[in-house]
Amino acid sequence: MTDHLSDKVLSAVASVKHIPREKVSVESSLQELGFDSLDATVLMFELEKQFQVTIPDDGVRSVRTVADIVAEVSKLAASAPLAPPAAGQP
Amino acid sequence: MSGRRVAVTGLGIVCALGQRVSEVWGALREGRPAISPIRMAGAERLRFRNVAQAHAYDPCAHFDASRIEHMDRFAQLAVIAAREAVRASGIELTPGLRERTAIVTGSSVGGQDTQDAGFVELYQRAQDRMHPLSIPRTMANAAASHISMEFRLTGPAYAISTACSSSNHAIGNAFWMVRNGMADVALAGGSEAPFSFGLLKAWEALRVVSPDTCRPFSKDRRGLILGEGAAMLLLEPLDGALARGAAIYAEMAGFGMSSDAHHMTHPSADGPVRAMRAALLDGGIAPEQIGYINAHGTGTVANDATETRAIRNLFGPHAGRLLVSSTKSMHGHALGAAGAIEAVCTILALRNSLIPPTANFTAPDPECDLDVVPNRARPAEVECALSNSFAFGGLNAVLALRRLVS
Repeated sequence: MTDHLSDKVLSAVASVKHIPREKVSVESSLQELGFDSLDATVLMFELEKQFQVTIPDDGVRSVRTVADIVAEVSKLAASAPLAPPAAGQP
Repeated sequence: MSGRRVAVTGLGIVCALGQRVSEVWGALREGRPAISPIRMAGAERLRFRNVAQAHAYDPCAHFDASRIEHMDRFAQLAVIAAREAVRASGIELTPGLRERTAIVTGSSVGGQDTQDAGFVELYQRAQDRMHPLSIPRTMANAAASHISMEFRLTGPAYAISTACSSSNHAIGNAFWMVRNGMADVALAGGSEAPFSFGLLKAWEALRVVSPDTCRPFSKDRRGLILGEGAAMLLLEPLDGALARGAAIYAEMAGFGMSSDAHHMTHPSADGPVRAMRAALLDGGIAPEQIGYINAHGTGTVANDATETRAIRNLFGPHAGRLLVSSTKSMHGHALGAAGAIEAVCTILALRNSLIPPTANFTAPDPECDLDVVPNRARPAEVECALSNSFAFGGLNAVLALRRLVS
């Protein structure tokens, strides 16, 4: 499940930045991949849609690596159907 | 700087804080925010709860049914603010003067309410027709057009749309027209009524809206609070204003603009520095003459730290002596109306020698190490002030105002 999920997250990361999938690994930091805050927000939007979860704004702020995103999405997907909406920091 | 000196002789405002200048000043003086739960259908589907909405506003108290039908809320608010500004100025708009009066209004999103309602009919209810008034209600210049018809003003009139800087650009352009003799009077400001469900959802997606309240420059700030409203300034040459014995609120002294050429949403310090410097230069004002800055101060982590850096870069050691407050902590971020609302706040601060506070302030942030006048208004006689607006898209507009004791 997590491998499958990681795979999807890696694909989403690559797709949002229009970079080859093989350049992205779970160890990659978003900064290295050239993400700014707006790119990160778009990525969260894509992931929320794909996994039917609600990623809180505070969650967005704390992610630094692709592994962080995988962990956040796994946690939220496990507590599905829908995490309670929570907003916060961009 | 060249040309005629320009006076502000009329102010008008309607926003969450109140429906006229005296009500708004009452709230600013007391540091009383007007941030409360949003009232609209579908609010439970939003991730944020609070806005600065003009709950007390009742269109029927200001317009008859036929006019209401022709005006989106953003245009209604603009006309109400213009009425108050004209009334306060005591100016007699003779036929000759009406031809020499300019109108410049700012709005970021125009008639959102109208557009949203029309699209609900079209997409959700599968209707095949839009209401024929949709276009005249939605267009961003509707506010300028309705003001021109209200007072039969036939001079140059146009609208400016530069997101959160719209009305500072509008006021600045109008100021230059009066200063350069292209107009003898100008009504300038902005209006915004952004509370349509679709637009709020779009703001939600940007993840910059606070889940609770707006705490500019505070360590625990969590984003902006959206607001609505309108404000208008009546500008005329200082000499003429003095000659007719008008009450003068302040001198519109300088205007500066710049663009960041950097990022659509991430602020930069360089662009704001250049806009503030340009406003000082335009007004022939030395940095040390500035005593107060009404900050852009949105309450997002990025804006407030960047704006602090910009102020420190430009003012050097004098930054430590400046009073800097964000009145968005009380009236919210009214987007295209923000500059005009904040120009009114700045002018009232100069005139009353009382600096409105940054409300909701809880804890200092080392990255925002300015005197942000936390929570309580502060008496201060200030010679000159700046009012900052820095828009998404990196478009910056700054007004410089001078206190005039008439």
